[in-house]
Amino acid sequence: MSRVETVPVTAAGPGAVAGPRPQTVPGFLALFRSELTLTFRRARTLALLGVLAVVPILIGVVVKIETGNMHGGDGGPAFITQVTQNGVFLTFTALATSLPIFLPMTVGVVAGDSVAGEAATGTLRYLLVAPAGRSRLLAAKFTAAMAFCLAATLAVAVSGLLIGSILFPVGDVTLLSGDTIGLGAALLRVVLISGVVALSLAGLAAVGLFISTLTGSGIAAMASTVGLVIIVQVLDSFPQLHAIQPWLLTHYWLSFGDLLRQPMYWHAVWQDLGLQALYVAVFGSAAWARFTTRDITA
Amino acid sequence: MTTKYAGFEEPEPAGGDEPIGVPYRGRRRTAARVLVPVAIAAVAAAGVAVVPALASPGTPTLPQVTAQQLVTKVLANRTTALSGTVQVSTDLGIPSQVLDMASQGAVAGVTGAAGAAGGSGQAKEGAANAASAGPQAKLTTLLAGDHTLRVAADGPDKQRVALVEPLAEYDLIHNGDQAWAWDSASNQAVHLSDGTGGAAAKDAKEQPKTPLDGVPTTPQQAAQQFLAGSASSSDVSVAGTVSVAGRDAYQLSVKPKQSGSTIREVKIAVDSATGTPLAVVATSTSGSTVLDVHFSDVSFAVPSASTFDFTPPKGATVVQPAQQRKWDNGIQPQPEASKAGSKVTGTDWTAVVSFTLPTQSGSTQTGSTQTGSTQTGGGKAASGHHRKQALPDSTTLIKSLGKPVAGGTLISTKVINVLITDDNHVYAGAVTLPVLQAAAGVK
Repeated sequence: MSRVETVPVTAAGPGAVAGPRPQTVPGFLALFRSELTLTFRRARTLALLGVLAVVPILIGVVVKIETGNMHGGDGGPAFITQVTQNGVFLTFTALATSLPIFLPMTVGVVAGDSVAGEAATGTLRYLLVAPAGRSRLLAAKFTAAMAFCLAATLAVAVSGLLIGSILFPVGDVTLLSGDTIGLGAALLRVVLISGVVALSLAGLAAVGLFISTLTGSGIAAMASTVGLVIIVQVLDSFPQLHAIQPWLLTHYWLSFGDLLRQPMYWHAVWQDLGLQALYVAVFGSAAWARFTTRDITA
Repeated sequence: MTTKYAGFEEPEPAGGDEPIGVPYRGRRRTAARVLVPVAIAAVAAAGVAVVPALASPGTPTLPQVTAQQLVTKVLANRTTALSGTVQVSTDLGIPSQVLDMASQGAVAGVTGAAGAAGGSGQAKEGAANAASAGPQAKLTTLLAGDHTLRVAADGPDKQRVALVEPLAEYDLIHNGDQAWAWDSASNQAVHLSDGTGGAAAKDAKEQPKTPLDGVPTTPQQAAQQFLAGSASSSDVSVAGTVSVAGRDAYQLSVKPKQSGSTIREVKIAVDSATGTPLAVVATSTSGSTVLDVHFSDVSFAVPSASTFDFTPPKGATVVQPAQQRKWDNGIQPQPEASKAGSKVTGTDWTAVVSFTLPTQSGSTQTGSTQTGSTQTGGGKAASGHHRKQALPDSTTLIKSLGKPVAGGTLISTKVINVLITDDNHVYAGAVTLPVLQAAAGVK
C-alpha cells in the first residue's frame, strides 16, 4: 500500500533549501555504519559469538581429559589426533566441527532476522524513512551479515587458538601431507582459512537475506534458513544425488582443509568461492527484486 | 498497484532512477526486477554448460601419425620428471562393502594374519598387525568412486603420490632407498623400506618401488603397463586428437581382437610433444565408462627436491612392518595378488584369474552376515577380533550377492565377472560368463 520511504518532494531547484542534500561519502556510509553497530551491539549477537567461542573450549577440554583414550583416530572430528600434539590444530578441529551446524545456525539467525525482524518489530518503516533507498538498506543489511560471518569464524578460530595454546603444546605444525611448517607460517594459514571459511558463509547470508525479505516474521525466516542448511547437507550426503551435489551451497565447505596441504591445493577452494559468489548474485538480486518492490506494511 | 493517496504516487527521491511524473506501477516493476535473479541464474547455468566446451577445444590439429608410431612413442617415452593432479574415476559396479571385504580377505588370506589393514585407517591394535596406513587398503579405495591424486616424479628414484581426501591426505613417498606411507587421518607413518637390515637389503632394488607398483596411479603407468601387455592381441588405431589438461594429445584407441572380453575399448590420450599418456579411459561392452584416469593439470618441470623429502612428523606413530614381504604380496587388491594360490589362464583380454577361497577356522560363524557388515564400519578396540571371524562370513556374503548359474555362483559387475564354483574355487576376469565357465571346466 503505502511506500513509506517516499517523502514529499518539492520541485527543488539547485538553490532550494528543502529537498535532498548533496551526497557525501560519510553520508552514504552512515546506513552501513548504523547497521553494523546495530548488529554488533545486540545482546543476541554477542551471545551467539559467545556460544561459538565455547565450541573450541568444549572440544579442547574433552580432548585434554580423554587424552589417554583418544589415540588412534577412533573416528571423531577431523584433526582430533593432532590436537594433543599441537594446540593450533584445535582451531582447525573447531572450525571443521562448527562449520556444518553452529556457524550456519548463527549466520541464519542474523541474516534471517535482518529484514524480517525489523518488519516484525515494526521498525522497518522507520528505517525506510531515511533517505537512503531500499537498495542501499539491503546492501547495508548484507554487509552487516557478512561482517557477522567473519566475526563468527574469528570467534571460533581465536578461541580455538587461545584454548589450544593453553591446554596443549604449541609449535611447528604438521600439515596433512606430512610436511612440517613453522608456527608463523601456520598462523598465516589460520588467518587464510578463517577468511575462506567466512567467505564460504556468504552464500548462506544471501539466502537468509532473501528469505528474510519474503516474510514479516523473524522467527520464520531464521527457522527456514537454518532448516534449509540442514536439508541441503542431508541432500549432500546421498550418493544418488551425485549430479546435483556440486551445486549445493554446502558442498565445498570443508574444502578449507585443502589449504593445509603442501603445496596448497586451491582447486576446491576456488570452486567453493565461485559457488558462493553465484549464490550471492542470484539470491542477493532476488532479495533486491523482492525488497525494492514490496509493500512495507509493518 | 495504485494507491488512493496521491502523495504516495510520487517517485522516491533517493531511488532516483524513476522519471518524475510517471505513475508508480508496482506490479510491472516487480515482474521486471524478478527477471534479474532469474537472468543471473540462467547466465550462470549457461556459462557452466558452455564455458568448458569453449575452454577445451575438442580436437586440436596435429600432424598425422600411425598407430604404430604412437605406440612406439608411448613405450619409448622417457619422461622422468612430472607433477600434476590426476582425477581417477572408477565405476566397476562393485558394491563398496564387497570391495572392503575382498581386499581384507585377500590380504589376510595371503599373510595368514587376520586383522591386517583396517579399512579406513582405524585399526590400531597389536604391533603384529599391519598398520592402518598400509598402502593396500588405501589403494583399494581407488577401485570405486572419484578420487583426486597429486603426483610428482623425478626419475625412477623419486616419486610421490598423494591421495587427496576430505580433511585428510594419504601419501606414498619414495625417495632413493626410502619409502614411506603417511596417513594423516590416523597420524601414522609406515616405513615401507629403509634400505638397511637383512631382508630389506636383499630386495633393496625392488622393494622401494612396491608401494607404487601394481596399481597404476598415473595415466603414464597405466598406459605403459597396458600397452606392453596387450598390444599384440588388440586392434590399435589412432582415433583423432583431444585436449587433456590443456595439452594437445593424440587419442589412441585399443580394442580387443578376441571376443569374450567385457571391455569394449580403451582410449589413451598421448601427449603430442612428449609421448606421455595423459588420460586412460576404459569402456565396457555395455557402453559405460568403467575407468577414467586423467591429468587435470600437468607440468613436466622437475619438482622441487623437497617434495620427496619425508621425515615422520613429531608425534606421529611410526610403524616398521615386521615382515617386509607383507607389502609385496598385499599391494594388489585384486585376488591375483595372492601369488601363492592363484593362477592365470587365458591371455591378455580374456585372462581369467583363479584361486581357491581360503577356508579358515571360525567357520562356526558362517551365516552370521551381521558380523561382516558391522566390521566394515568397525574401529572399536575389538574390531581385530571381529575381523578374524569375518573371513568365512564374507565368503558367504559375497556368494549371497551372486546369482546361481551352471557350475556355481556368478557375481556380475559392469566389467568384472566372478564365478565361484560350488567347491569354492573362484574364477574372475573382465570376461563374459562362458569364458569363465570354460576356464572352470563347467560343461
